Amino acid sequence: MSGAMNLLIGLAMGFSLVALASSRLPSVIRAAALQGMVLGMLPLLLEEKFHWLVVAVAIGTITVKGFIIPNLLRRALRAANIDREVEPLLGFVPSLLLGAAAIIGAAALGSELPLRPEHAKTLLVPGAFATVVCGFILLMARAKAISQVCGYLILENGIYLFGLLLINSTPLLVEAGILLDLTVAVFVIGIIVDRIQREFDTLDTRKLTSLRE
Amino acid sequence: MTPGWLLLIAGGGLVAGIFSARKSPRVWLATTLAGAIAALAAAAGMLASGAIWDWQPGFVIGGEAVHLQLDGISAFFLILLAVLGGAGTLYSSEYWPDTAHPASAPSGRAWWNGLLLNMGGVLLCANGLHFLIAWEIFTVCAYFLITRERQRPEARAAGWLYLASSHVAMVFLFAFFALLAARTGSWELGPMRDHPELAPLFWLALAGFGLKAGIFPLHIWLPSAHANAPSHVSAILSGMAIKMGIYGLVRFTGWMPAPHSAGWVVAALGAISAVLGVAFALGQHDLKRLLAYHSVENIGIILIGLGFAMIAAAHGNATWGHLALAGALLHVWNHGLFKALLFLGAGSVLHATGTREMSRLGGLWRAMPWTASLFALGATAIAGLPPLNGFVSEWLVYLGLFDAVSAHGPASFAAILAAVALGMTGALALACFVKVCGVVFLGRPRAEIAEHVHECGWRMRWPMLALGTACVTIGLAPILFWPALATAAATWQPAPAPILPPVSLVTLGAFHLALAALVILAAVFLWRRVQHNGVTRAGTWDCGYAAPTPRMQYTAGSFAGIITGWFDWILRPQRHAHLPKEAMRARADFAEHTPETVLERFVEPAGLLAIQVSTAVRRLQHGRVQSYIFYLLLGLAALAILAVTGGSK
Amino acid sequence: MIAAADILLRLAAWLLVAPLLPGIINKVKAWVAGRRGPPVLQLYFDLAKLWRKGTVLSTAASPAHVIGPAAAWVALIGAALLLPVGPAGASLSFRGDALLFVYLLAFARFCIALAALDTGSAFEGMGVAREVSYAVLSEAALITALLTLCVQSDSVSLATMLAPSAGTGAALLAAGLFGVLLAENCRVPFDDPNTHLELTMIHEVMVLDHSGPTLAAILHGAALKLLLFAVLLAEAVLPLGKLTLPQAAGALIAAVFAVAVAVGLVESLLARLAFRRVPLLLTTAFLLCLFALLVAWKGGKP
Repeated sequence: MSGAMNLLIGLAMGFSLVALASSRLPSVIRAAALQGMVLGMLPLLLEEKFHWLVVAVAIGTITVKGFIIPNLLRRALRAANIDREVEPLLGFVPSLLLGAAAIIGAAALGSELPLRPEHAKTLLVPGAFATVVCGFILLMARAKAISQVCGYLILENGIYLFGLLLINSTPLLVEAGILLDLTVAVFVIGIIVDRIQREFDTLDTRKLTSLRE
Repeated sequence: MTPGWLLLIAGGGLVAGIFSARKSPRVWLATTLAGAIAALAAAAGMLASGAIWDWQPGFVIGGEAVHLQLDGISAFFLILLAVLGGAGTLYSSEYWPDTAHPASAPSGRAWWNGLLLNMGGVLLCANGLHFLIAWEIFTVCAYFLITRERQRPEARAAGWLYLASSHVAMVFLFAFFALLAARTGSWELGPMRDHPELAPLFWLALAGFGLKAGIFPLHIWLPSAHANAPSHVSAILSGMAIKMGIYGLVRFTGWMPAPHSAGWVVAALGAISAVLGVAFALGQHDLKRLLAYHSVENIGIILIGLGFAMIAAAHGNATWGHLALAGALLHVWNHGLFKALLFLGAGSVLHATGTREMSRLGGLWRAMPWTASLFALGATAIAGLPPLNGFVSEWLVYLGLFDAVSAHGPASFAAILAAVALGMTGALALACFVKVCGVVFLGRPRAEIAEHVHECGWRMRWPMLALGTACVTIGLAPILFWPALATAAATWQPAPAPILPPVSLVTLGAFHLALAALVILAAVFLWRRVQHNGVTRAGTWDCGYAAPTPRMQYTAGSFAGIITGWFDWILRPQRHAHLPKEAMRARADFAEHTPETVLERFVEPAGLLAIQVSTAVRRLQHGRVQSYIFYLLLGLAALAILAVTGGSK
Repeated sequence: MIAAADILLRLAAWLLVAPLLPGIINKVKAWVAGRRGPPVLQLYFDLAKLWRKGTVLSTAASPAHVIGPAAAWVALIGAALLLPVGPAGASLSFRGDALLFVYLLAFARFCIALAALDTGSAFEGMGVAREVSYAVLSEAALITALLTLCVQSDSVSLATMLAPSAGTGAALLAAGLFGVLLAENCRVPFDDPNTHLELTMIHEVMVLDHSGPTLAAILHGAALKLLLFAVLLAEAVLPLGKLTLPQAAGALIAAVFAVAVAVGLVESLLARLAFRRVPLLLTTAFLLCLFALLVAWKGGKP
């Protein structure tokens, strides 16, 4: 079971790197969506016995992260007529190397932490750390609002992985809460993006520094 | 003859050379060469027999009894000194003759002998005080050799920079030896591994010897000194003088206990020096400055090996440490040989064309076939390619690193990084030397000066041939040199088990031999086939352009552009561009120049700050007695406060 | 005597099979595009023809123009002799031959590059600059891949390193090595062997001024290099050491064929990348190899 899980988490970490290396906004969105879907499948593997609530949550997560949010973003992309090119503040190769360093660092950190034996064998903790850090890198290193949203999505995926550690004690409450927050956040950002676009004809967050009251 | 007599002949020959340097160049040449050969024989005899020569005559210099010792490590470095010294001596007799340089050549010969003599002295001295004295004299001799062309301001500036950084190194070394003497109670040097309290002194040695060796952030003096010195001096500086820093590090890491982190720091500095050294080299357009940066790279490779040997020694003498150390030591020889060869080749180019600027050269192979082929040989060796010697030493270091990785020990992860860094260094060096050979020797002359050139004479050719032969010999028959390596490595830290030669070294040598033979065979075969089928001469394919000129050839700067772009963050190249704005703009130009980033961005601002602070402080010193009394009073008050607050404890 | 016969036999096999691979790739491309395409043996005909042809030599050319291709060809043959052929092992195997293999490829690159710069053509200068620059990254990836195999087998000899499969990290390693294969052999998406626009090429532009027998040596060497990488990739991933002789031979042939088909498909389906994106792809290949190494390292820990 832990083999399949590690494979999925490994794939998820790979998607963070894909997001860091992509030069087009749609592929960044796609990477974040695929990562969300891959991670959405994890609860099914974690629970030993079949439980309808877990299945429902997994399906819910996959639908929201894999279809609804990406579609919203794509619609924003189309509606606001945003140029598809990502504008990196930090080059793609350095971001990719930073992301890889984050993964290696997280793996090293994970093997040092005093984890419970059932977690020590899996990549849950390193995966969570790595995904969070990759999300931060994406947030820091990209100029456009849409890629910032993708950074938040990846960040949330990392937090969700941490939440999975508690799956036995808290029944996915944390995850549901976060997801709700995030959906609201994405809606808000979507609206703001639309407004900014109409007002200033650009979505470059660097230019927002000149905004005054 | 015993080593003692041979060394006496060597020393005597060099001293006699100093006295005959002014009057009779021929006597100087003969005595200096004889001295070099005697030193070579003494060192080779020591390495072959393994018998340590130890000489304590009982007389005293500067209050300390003279003690000379020729052991495995000294002999290993002495051989290199003798070979490079001999080659440089013969080379300089044609390269820097009295006829062309009536003022600087005679005294240059004397300084040259002083340099050789005192470097030999450093290698032999087993007394800290005498070590320091010899070190200082050789440093000063090198200064006078670097500034042979005093009329050129760059040469003077390079000399000052060299002198200043050497003396900063000297301060560290002085502190190191003084503290060592204070803690052990004597200036005598020797194994002192059972004094763990000496370990922190290693950092002083690393700073002092590292400055001399040109480890990456401390390399600031190296490029300009190597570029502006006469070429035979550049060869000995790069081949031997910076190796004295390595000698110091090898010597004292072998004799003294080192702190736990020492090996890691040395290996990390090595990896940084290797990659960044070659990156800076790629950015250079000055032939000799480029070669100088390659010294930084190769010192890095040596330090990677030494660092991992130290890590292994700290973790129970793992066998991979021996391999890494053997690779590092062999690379000391190899780098000395091929870098001297390359500098002598660059000197030959400079001699013929009068410029070091690569963008004005090109197509030199036609007029200078010897220089071109020997330079290409050196380039193949320095790029670490089989079947030459550079590959053998890098291969040994790689084997050490790969074994360290598969040992799953504490050094595994570092070894992965080091191996990748070494691989990238090799590929970068290859790129750099493709650029040098292609731009300088192949194609067509880019400027008029490169058109009417002459090949160097035999007295410049023989040293290059000798060094090239040495490179080929080590490459094709590395096993012959293994006993010397084993003796030196065993002297470093006596291993619990005798260091056996890796069996595959023999196979590698055989493979190299076969490869070399087949390359020659295939080249001859293909050449005859081409001739047999018939050859038509035509212009180079120019893509249909009507009137190509030689200046349209790819330049050194554009060639390196891709890689220097990757290293923009550290190289900080200065670009001057007037790009064409409309379709048929009359003029457009682009120039790129990599400055001495570390010197100009870090050291000079720090120096300026120091000057500002000092000038500010100097205002206190103005000669008014009244204020001095005021200072005295202030000082007393401060002491009183200190006494009161200190006493309350 | 037997050893010499063995070496000669292998040599003949390597030399004869090599030009087949570009033929297969071209056939696949033609098939995807719905054309009939050149015959699979086209490169053999080309080589035979070039070998008999005369040479047009630039007036600026030096002896390096001929020595370079010859030396590169010999170096590639040397590398071929070091690489084990599945169950038959290598004709020459010793500790550390893996590194010699990598550096022989580098030596071949050095020789070809010098031979290209020899005519003083600006276009060839561009090609050489690209070739040696991108090789820095692919060499880092290749060394990492070798480290992975070394960690798995505790050996630095190709024959033992390539016998077991790459284990859990096999997919990562395969992807990384495939990237290196495409870059080192100048295939799409790094370079397009079909274009004849001098400004945008890497390998093809380096041989613009070669003709006749020297061009034949270069083309044959390039085919041999492709085969070397295909065999290396196949053996790194497949556990050939655990199979019986016929099985292993069959698996190796099938895998090399599959690699050729994959290259052809990539070439048909992908466009060439812009040059500024090439380092990113090569860094990705390097990271894939690095992660394969970490997986192997974790897996091998007692």
